[in-house]
Amino acid sequence: MNRTKDTARFARIADKVRANEALDADDGLFLYTYPDLLAVGALANERREALHGDKTFFNVNFHINPTNVCVADCKFCSFARLEPDAPAAYTMSIDEVKQKLLDRMDQPVTEIHIVNGLHHHLPLDYYKDCLRELKALRPDIHLKAYTAVEIHYFAEKYGMSYTQVLSELKEAGLDSMPGGGAEIFAERARRKLCRGKADADEWLAVHRAAHELGIRTNCTMLYGTVETLEERIDHMLRLRDLQAETGGFQTFIPLAFHADNNSLQKLPPPTGVDNLRTYAVSRLMLHNIAHIKAYWIMIGIKTAQISLSFGVDDLDGTVQEEKIYHMAGAETPQALSRVDLVRLIREAGRVAVERDTLYNERWTDDGEALDGIRIDASLPYSTQGQGVRLNVL
Amino acid sequence: MTTETTPSQPSPTTLRVQAVSFLNARPLIHTLLDPKHAPRHADGTPMFEVVEALPSRCADALAAGECDLALVPVGAYADHPEWEVVPGVGIGCRGAVDTVVVCSRWPIEEVERVYLDGASRSSILLLKVLLHEAGLSPELVPVDHGVGEGLVADASTDGSGPKVAALIIGDAAFGVAGRFEHVWDLGTKWFERTGLPMVFAFWAARPGVLTPAHVTALQKARDRSLGKYAEAIAKHYRDELLASGEPGAAQALSEQAYATYLRKTIRYGLETQQREGLVEYLDRAREAELIDIPGLHPEDPVHIHFAGEAAPEVLVAARRRRSSRSPLDVDAILARAAAGERIDLAEGIYLYENAELMALGEAADQRRAQLHPEPIVTYIIDRNVNYTNYCVTRCKFCNFYVPPTDKQGRGYVLSKEQLAKKFRETEALGGIQILLQGGLNPELGLDYYEDLFRWTKQNFTLKLHALSPTEIIHIAQIEELSVEEVLRRLQAAGMDSLPGGGAEILDDEIRARISPFKNSTAEWLEVMRAAHGLGMRSSATMVFGFQETAEHILMHLERLRSLQDETGGFTAFITWPFQADGTRLKLRDDTSAFRYLRVQAVARLYLDNIDNIQVSWPTLGPEIGEIALRFGANDFGSVMIEENVVSTAGAHFMMTAKEIESHIRLAGFEPQRRTMQYGRVEAS
Repeated sequence: MNRTKDTARFARIADKVRANEALDADDGLFLYTYPDLLAVGALANERREALHGDKTFFNVNFHINPTNVCVADCKFCSFARLEPDAPAAYTMSIDEVKQKLLDRMDQPVTEIHIVNGLHHHLPLDYYKDCLRELKALRPDIHLKAYTAVEIHYFAEKYGMSYTQVLSELKEAGLDSMPGGGAEIFAERARRKLCRGKADADEWLAVHRAAHELGIRTNCTMLYGTVETLEERIDHMLRLRDLQAETGGFQTFIPLAFHADNNSLQKLPPPTGVDNLRTYAVSRLMLHNIAHIKAYWIMIGIKTAQISLSFGVDDLDGTVQEEKIYHMAGAETPQALSRVDLVRLIREAGRVAVERDTLYNERWTDDGEALDGIRIDASLPYSTQGQGVRLNVL
Repeated sequence: MTTETTPSQPSPTTLRVQAVSFLNARPLIHTLLDPKHAPRHADGTPMFEVVEALPSRCADALAAGECDLALVPVGAYADHPEWEVVPGVGIGCRGAVDTVVVCSRWPIEEVERVYLDGASRSSILLLKVLLHEAGLSPELVPVDHGVGEGLVADASTDGSGPKVAALIIGDAAFGVAGRFEHVWDLGTKWFERTGLPMVFAFWAARPGVLTPAHVTALQKARDRSLGKYAEAIAKHYRDELLASGEPGAAQALSEQAYATYLRKTIRYGLETQQREGLVEYLDRAREAELIDIPGLHPEDPVHIHFAGEAAPEVLVAARRRRSSRSPLDVDAILARAAAGERIDLAEGIYLYENAELMALGEAADQRRAQLHPEPIVTYIIDRNVNYTNYCVTRCKFCNFYVPPTDKQGRGYVLSKEQLAKKFRETEALGGIQILLQGGLNPELGLDYYEDLFRWTKQNFTLKLHALSPTEIIHIAQIEELSVEEVLRRLQAAGMDSLPGGGAEILDDEIRARISPFKNSTAEWLEVMRAAHGLGMRSSATMVFGFQETAEHILMHLERLRSLQDETGGFTAFITWPFQADGTRLKLRDDTSAFRYLRVQAVARLYLDNIDNIQVSWPTLGPEIGEIALRFGANDFGSVMIEENVVSTAGAHFMMTAKEIESHIRLAGFEPQRRTMQYGRVEAS
């Protein structure tokens, strides 16, 4: 490899980034293989700071998965059960779905994230009722529901257009859509991973239809399975093209593949360096998508924290049912999750901002105590050199 | 020179001091009372204004705020854990003390009543602890100072009265041992039971009044008096005694005997082992429910607040530079450091405080590539064997140790059979070395280690990367040998190199807070200096996350760099964040991965003379381990076949050689097995 030539090429790419020009596929591949990981990270960080400064977003949400019964047999999935009567298969009644929210009525949750398996028999009304009943309980809560794969499945199953399905769901209370089911767009990889599921064009068409109805959506990429680096770049470019058309994507979420309890167990998981590089390259390639999100639940809080210097500006929600690493002198798990999230953002020298689903800012960290726990970071490390101090009162 | 200060209105920096006039206290106050040599501030103001008083009175005066600093019996500390103690100075003994004795005409075990003759709280408490542990409970009767001996001497031996004894302390106790058939020297008794020194008194101050200058002055006053004036103090004491016409005058000892008492019997230090003895004493008193320390959790050992000492010159210079007008520039410093140029302490602190993570990383990565141009990352296969978990130091940040007094059977010392099994497994897994570390177990002397090392070398091909400085110091102390002698003998028995553990933060202010009974900064460095001098290499470590400042971190690195300039004996540096789960250390600090990468990158740049930087994946996980290879590190540490210490405090990562190699490759390097000295080993 010619080092001088590479350095010059990197500098040209950096110029394009600074001018907010779109990078091409070759640029993306170059960034993926450029030996100086930190230079790529620093460039992504520059872009992230140009867009958001030190702001690091999170929201307070929880997940409901009303059913895990699924007709699709995706190789990377540990969640789905193929038949309604398979062991550990479940389908909640509408009352059970409502109970999930009733259990949290006193919590400051602003969003419910709802994703399902592709159930063999359930009528569309089931999905509409879920939305309607949840909205009835708390009209202010934002319902981010059903992936493009589900919408595509509904459309086929009930003989409707995407727009018809989406309009009915919107009418029932759907506010926005999660970005799941994109996996990796390349046909070659998709055939190996999730044959029979909505393909790339279908996935993109659902999102296009949603954007046209004013439904904002997220987008994802599953990486670390059988795809090549070229296929990752291709995936990003297809998302970028749709975004150029509609502007409806809010956030891109790279999803590192996890090999537990699924049929791809022999693959080594993507780890530290690959995760960081993927965040950085995403930030640089997707110049027209505002936010890059790291799911700290998936990559671990340590890597998530470092990702804030590699292009990431969003750390997802405080997922209530996840057990977050525990501090001495613990308060409630819910309070801790928020404190821990804010703490790790402060430690990384950033400013935590609680957002709603549409990135309206609800709360900005002022460095004060949280829920009875003093996070003594009002003096950032950069001026006092004392690190962030945290004392449990 | 005029000193206008009055006792009621002292100048703010003149401390009002109360001290006892016993002979054994004189070396501590002799210089303070010397009109010519009494320590003064730069403007001539005296640092201390000393009034002499009885021991118990000193403590009362300090508690009442009638003085700022006092020489107090350690027993009084139980009521005032807020007092700050002067580090390094105390009055104690290791074995016989001569001046705290119980005398009787009957064997002490048979005694029914003990007169407490003018005794201090410390000595009464010590007697009670020893009686409690011996299962004895005679009646204790306080009497006036000076009458105890007579009461025992005059007691009838015909069985008509109780069998009596007297606890006699201070100067009145000189020679008592020779006048009675049955004597308990409490220093001896304590040493027999614990193997530890006893500390009777120390300088304690109201919180916040002591400055480093005061601390240094008190330490120097002790050194000066003992160094030059022990004989003069002894003579002066004897002359006074003879002139006083007191009853004791007739029994005065020789000048030489008093001097020997000052020079040999009494120990005026308050270093690691004395601190251990001190805490053991207070803990045993607490266990026997003789004292109760306010605000202290029953599970926690006694914590003693030591006052801070003076800043080293290099730090003073760095502070001066930072407050000077010439501005420092992050980019310029980074560029120089990345090119391998030396940066000074002020610059290091400035980088740590101001440089962005990514900029630090890029500079550290450049420097790493300059030192190790081949794209190779090394690792070693060894096994961490913790031969014992008994430990006397009770570090608050440790979740591994069991105190020697533990009665729940949680402690262990591995047998040779157990060790042989572990060693054989290590060899079978391709391991080439044992990292042998353990607690500070008072039962294990030098011969234990010599035997263990010889046995290892006779039966296995493994290298012994053994015993951190903390353990070496412990062995030296229990054997009363020099550190160098201990190292020489261990080396002769088969020790190859030393791990760099026990360094934590090499700053006595931080150490006093987290591990007051562990070796000091100077002691740690001295062991490394001696080991390197004998041709043994070692690693160096730093654990952060104890609320240390940038200065503490950079001073740690400065101390390592400076010793490395001298000896060249450090092979590698490893840093990691404190693992807090389940430990008794309640403070919480930033121990994030973000800070870890910053610290490691700064270390790579500052330690320009240490070749290798190891990542600490056992505490941070393999993902951050990978990333850390881009922040200055060139070594992936060890395939730890076993680890017991951080894994009891929340770090649970384990990896095989194959996994380690995979992570090294994912980070863009080729893996290479190595020895402790960083020689290459071909994988078999």
